[in-house]
This record gives sequence, C-alpha cells and structure tokens, in this order.
Amino acid sequence: MVGVRKYMPSYLLMLPFLILYLLFTFYPIVRGFIISLQKFYVLGTKEFVGLANYNYLLHDSTFLSSVWHTVIFVVFSVPLLVIIPFCLALIVNAPIKGRKIYQAVFFLPMILGVSVVSSVWSAMLGNYGGLVDAVLNAIGIHQEINWTAQSTQLAWISVLAVTVWWTAGFNMVLYLAALQDIPKELYEAASLDGASGWAKTCFITLPSVKRVTILVVFLQFIASFNVFGQIFLLTGGGPAGATTTIVSYIYEKSFSEFLFGPGAAASYILFFILLIVSLIQLRLMSKTE
Amino acid sequence: MQVREAMPTSPAPVSARADSALRMGRLTRVLLYLVAIVLSILWVVPSLWILLVSFKPQGSNVLNVASWFQAPYSVGNYVYAFTHAPILLWLLNSFLVALIVTVLVLLLSVLCAFPISQNRFPGRGLVVFLLALGLMVPGEALLIPFYLLFRSLHMLDGYGALILPSIAVPFGVLLVKQFFDGLSREYFEAARMDGCGVLRMIFMIAVPLARPALAALAIFTFLGSWNNFLWPYISITSPNVMTVPVGIPFFNSSYHTDYTLPATADVIVSIPVFIVYVLFQRHIIRGFAFSGLK
Repeated sequence: MVGVRKYMPSYLLMLPFLILYLLFTFYPIVRGFIISLQKFYVLGTKEFVGLANYNYLLHDSTFLSSVWHTVIFVVFSVPLLVIIPFCLALIVNAPIKGRKIYQAVFFLPMILGVSVVSSVWSAMLGNYGGLVDAVLNAIGIHQEINWTAQSTQLAWISVLAVTVWWTAGFNMVLYLAALQDIPKELYEAASLDGASGWAKTCFITLPSVKRVTILVVFLQFIASFNVFGQIFLLTGGGPAGATTTIVSYIYEKSFSEFLFGPGAAASYILFFILLIVSLIQLRLMSKTE
Repeated sequence: MQVREAMPTSPAPVSARADSALRMGRLTRVLLYLVAIVLSILWVVPSLWILLVSFKPQGSNVLNVASWFQAPYSVGNYVYAFTHAPILLWLLNSFLVALIVTVLVLLLSVLCAFPISQNRFPGRGLVVFLLALGLMVPGEALLIPFYLLFRSLHMLDGYGALILPSIAVPFGVLLVKQFFDGLSREYFEAARMDGCGVLRMIFMIAVPLARPALAALAIFTFLGSWNNFLWPYISITSPNVMTVPVGIPFFNSSYHTDYTLPATADVIVSIPVFIVYVLFQRHIIRGFAFSGLK
C-alpha cells in the first residue's frame, strides 16, 4: 500500500495523456489490424477473411504500381532534398550580406501548407498556360506544355519540383543548426595552416554534418514515403494513374471505393515498411553517437 | 541527442565570420552572391506572382509580363472571395483548432513528461517504450480506424474530429521529457523538502525553465495543425466546419480556367501566417530546428 501511495502522483499525472494515447493511437492500431483481416459488406456486416486482403493487394496491379511509384518518388526526392537543402544552408551560413533574407525566403513556402502550395503551382504550371510556360515562351520555347498531365515524366518532374520548393527550407534549417554547431576554432586552425575555403568545406564541414545527414535522410525518407497532398491536388494521381502513391491508394480504396479491408491492409504494409526504416535509423544513429 | 540552437545568440561568432570572410576568395564570393540571389528570386517568384495575380481583374491575361506593371489593378477579387465563400470562417476554424490542439498538447505533454523524467516507478520503462513505438506510427496508416471510430461516435464533420486525434502525440512528451532530463534533480528535491506540491513544482519551476522546448513544441504543433490536410479532408464535409487546407481546394474546384480568384484565396489565407512568420521568424525557424533535432 505504501508503494501505491508513493507512486500514485506519477500515475495520475500521466493518466490524461495515456488515456487519450491509448484511445487515439493504440486502439486505432489494433482496430486497423483487425479491419485488415475483415471483409466489409455494404449493409455494415463484416466477416473474418484472414489474410485475403493482403493476398488481394499482392495481386492488384494498381497497388503494386502505387508501391513502385512511391519507391521512384523516394529515390529521386530524398537525394534532392538532402543535397539542395545542404547547399542552401551553406549559402545562408556564409558570411554574405542579406543572409537572413535568403534564409527567410527559402523557408517561407514551409509555412504555406500543401493546399496553398498546390494552388500556387497549379497556376504556375497551369493546364491553360501557366507562368512557367510563359517564361519558356519568352525565351523562345514556343510550346504549350501540360506539365501535370501530358506525360508521366513531366508529371513526376512537376511533383518533385513542387516538393523541393515547398520543403527544402525545413531540411535547410536542420543543416544550418548543425553548421553553426561546428567549433569556429577548427576553421581558424585550418586557415592558419593555409587551407583554402573549399578544403575547409570538404575536410571540416562535410565530416561534421554526418550525424545530421543521417537524421535528414531518414526524416525525408519517411516524409517522401507518405507523400500524398501535393500529388492528389496537382496531378490527381494522373496521367492515367502514373503518379498514384501508397497513401493515394489507401485514400482511393478506403474513401472513394469504401473498401476498408484492402485499404487497412495497405495501411499496415505502409506502417510495416516505415517501422523497419525507423529501426534502421535508430541503429545508425546510436552507432554515430 | 543534443539540443541545438539554429542561430547564434551572441555577437562573437559574427566577428569570427567576418574574419574568415576576408580569407574567402573574390571569385568564390561573387559566385556565392550570384547563386544566393538567383535562388532567392526563383524561390520567391511564385508567391509574388500569385500576390500580383490576386490584384488583377478576373479574366485579365496574367501571363503577359508587360501587363504586370500596368493598370488595371482591383480589389474586386477580394470582395468577391469574401462574399462568395466562408473564407473568414475557415481561417477562424483553422486558428481555433490549432490553438486548442497546441494548448492541449503542451499541457498533456508537460504533465506526462514530468514524472517520466523525474520519478522512478514501476511501469516507467513500458510507458517510454509505448511512446517510442508510437513515434513510428504514420498518421496516414490510421485513417480508416479513425474514420470508423468517429463515425460510430457521430463526431465526423465536427471540431472533435479535427482536434482529438492530434492531442496525444508521443513526440511532444519525448521532446519535453528530454528537456526535463537536463534539469537538476536536486532542484526538485529541495522544493519537495519545502513542502512544494507536485503540480506547483511543475508549473512554477519546471515549465518556466523549459520555455525554449515548450516554445519550439508550440510552434511545431501549431503549424502542423494549421497545415494538416488529409484527415480533415476525409472527415469534414460541411463548408462551415472546414479548415483552410480543406477549404482552399473546395473553393478552387469551381475555378478551373481563372487564376485570379484561387490566387486571391491563397493570399487571404496566407496573410495571417505570413504576419506571424515575419514577426517571429527567428523563433519559428529555431523552433523547427529544435523539434527536428530533438
């Protein structure tokens, strides 16, 4: 009894969070798994079907291609959203005038949100001639390009460009924090030894941002794997389903076709992939500690 | 796992920078300015163009560069947007939801993080494990259970659906816990000796000390809620309950060939966040870095 009274305050303090956490995180996880093993009928009845939904997904070419599209997006977007933000961080960390302004400008799209970003870029890339086409016309390329719907490649390029414009500022800020953590003495010592600016970048800066790079790569990996909003609003998954990703598939299956079983199974596959990625990240991070 | 600041707060690094600036080659310097300016222009043009388009009368040719700097300009789009769509209501909904979510996240995180950080009790390891596990669950994977849960509670298409799923986030607890871990335990022992109750200890000692972490969490949570798209898009169908991210596509879907009205809606909903961004830019960027680096 003494123990209970001693620990009671701790439990009571955690109680509000834990109740909500169980209700809105753990209950949905368990319920989601159960749904992924069920078949739903229109009248609201359901039936246990084992792994049939997972089996359905493995033979559904739309699902398989949505996984493939997601992998393509990850493969292109992760390197772009590591290298470009790192370069942006180097620029705004350099001793040049107006670097606070450049930093503000690069970060600005982050605060706009996916709907405004997609709306802005629908006009930029517009189906009826956007600003990008107008600029191309002005420099002599007289061709009307339907960026988001004309071809698979152009649709992906559009989505990648928009994603970089929108989110590069976030990774830039992470890199910037790491850059400003590098002891200035290192650079001064290297300068005394006659090292050039480029040498200092290669031999001091790059090794110093190794840890934050692992973090950025994994945060980006997870964000890219969950890509949905900008694709849904810009290309609508088109042309002809060529930019449908896993989350778009989950959305379509669950909330357009109302096939909750396969939708939940696809959600679980996504969850499982991200769980493995997170575990790899934890291993790598603890190694570089 | 270390807490870092995104920007130097003391003037010392600036002089060190100026020092190394002298050693930067002239060519490197010119190149750096060139790249910085060109990229900044590229980054800012879409937003500036949309701002300009919003002041052009409906149906004008906004693609002609020459026309950008010529009359006619008009505020007609703004009048039209305000009178034909509940944009102010969407802004208010977004603001209220983000505010409530932020306050609750801070409160719940602080209350839960304090005992985990400062006390030892049976089950502590399990709680930390559950929190770490929850960190790996993507919200996108929980859409169907959320939908069925809120439908059975008859709470779809309401503020409850917008707020409840976002308030018990393990990220907040772990961020605050990590900050509390850095506070000296003797501090709280001394307070306990003086007969200070645990709630007073939390709100009079721990919370003021944790201001940087809480500010970062607040900024991160507020903007996260403000920009939340997929779940509100699924759960909200009435225009009057919509938040900005759901309202914008709803509004735009009526204007396929006209850029001026969507541009106007974009500008209207961005003005509040933009003002906040300009005022608190330093804190916002630092908050993001802080939260990202944990």
